[in-house]
Amino acid sequence: MKTTFKEEDKYFVMYFEGRLDTAASAQTEEEMKPLYDCSGHDIILDCTNLEYISSSGLRLFLGLLKTAKPKGSHVYIRGINEDLRQVFAMTGFINLFEFK
Amino acid sequence: MRLSPHCQLLLQEFRDKRQELLQLDNHVFELISQTLKQQGIELNSIEHRIKTVDSLAGKLERKGEKYRQLSDITDLVGLRIVTFYTDDVDKVAAIISQLFDIDWANSVDKRKLHDLNSFGYNSLHYICNLHGGSFPFEIQIRTALQHTWSAIEHDIGYKGAVKLPPQYRRQFSRLAGMLELADDEFSRLRTTMTEYRRQIQALVKSGNLSDVALSTDSFCSYLELRPFDRLNQRIAAVNQAELFPASLMPFLPILESFGMESLGQVQAMVDELSDAAYQLALSQLAITDLDILSEMVGLQNLCVVYSLKNGGTRNDIKYIYDTLYGASESNLHLADAIIRQYSAIGQ
Repeated sequence: MKTTFKEEDKYFVMYFEGRLDTAASAQTEEEMKPLYDCSGHDIILDCTNLEYISSSGLRLFLGLLKTAKPKGSHVYIRGINEDLRQVFAMTGFINLFEFK
Repeated sequence: MRLSPHCQLLLQEFRDKRQELLQLDNHVFELISQTLKQQGIELNSIEHRIKTVDSLAGKLERKGEKYRQLSDITDLVGLRIVTFYTDDVDKVAAIISQLFDIDWANSVDKRKLHDLNSFGYNSLHYICNLHGGSFPFEIQIRTALQHTWSAIEHDIGYKGAVKLPPQYRRQFSRLAGMLELADDEFSRLRTTMTEYRRQIQALVKSGNLSDVALSTDSFCSYLELRPFDRLNQRIAAVNQAELFPASLMPFLPILESFGMESLGQVQAMVDELSDAAYQLALSQLAITDLDILSEMVGLQNLCVVYSLKNGGTRNDIKYIYDTLYGASESNLHLADAIIRQYSAIGQ
């Protein structure tokens, strides 16, 4: 699992690559920390190259959403494939996020 | 501007006491804001200010000799409370009279000043003192419509009935009457809606769901009974999942699109289709390790099952997803996938 953090215009963007499973979640949580300091920025989670997401991964995304919303920041999910979108749909979480 | 020596002294005292007046202004503002919030009164706004030196100088120039001392000027500190409803003006006034000493001799309820031939649309003005305070302050209480009237009146430049040419008097009167009527009607509407909500809550609690029309209010009351908890917990048990709270109000337009007109019909769907909805969720989740679910999961599967059982097509399922997730062509893929799952469970 590889992540890359970039600031693009007013967005904080994190690129995910590989499988976000339980084994990868602790390190990914650490790498997502810069996103938590998001006042004045919207966040994009770029999932174009994300192959799999487990419950631990969903928790990371939900945790970020919980922190970002009170700060007025939007969390967008970008480039998600149909299989992963189905995971968001079947868990009922899909309407919590905004998709690009 | 020419001020008498007495007025110059008053103006200088005002400059010297500015800090004290600012503290008074902030203290009164905080006290009123907190108290009204505690009492659950929603306000349009509260404005507060202390008079500017220029404004006071102007006032002193016009009528300075009537003030013996600075504290005779009652509007050095002023607050304006703007409510949404006319009922709330009286409620706020009652609270204000509890919080402060009111100088009744100088307070005016301009709403009561109008005789048959008068017109205008004004507010309640209280001259107040902190218990043992050294400076009075003025509080104006009015509704949002009264506030609008005042702002327009100010913009037009009209200052009093006498100056207004007679040909415009009728126009002003009609407008003032219309705003008063609108204010009263908004208050009445609020009372009616509150009563309606109480009736709905009582019907829902008594279990007479088929008598309750499906609406935003009734669905909200129905959700307080947590009618989908049992199904959600059953689905969550598949992977010992944690349930994440979520609003179910976005489902209302979907239920309406099914032609449901009463809560009884919603409850019938829960009673009749929960097993099938559980089977559908099971078929999706059992092959995953997903142990976190939104509280939407039960009703979402119920809606899919209801639609398909009643001859729903992929476009009907897409409509459900479009309503919940926002319109997207990707929702067609989700619809196709769920229809396959539904066929697989033999429904």
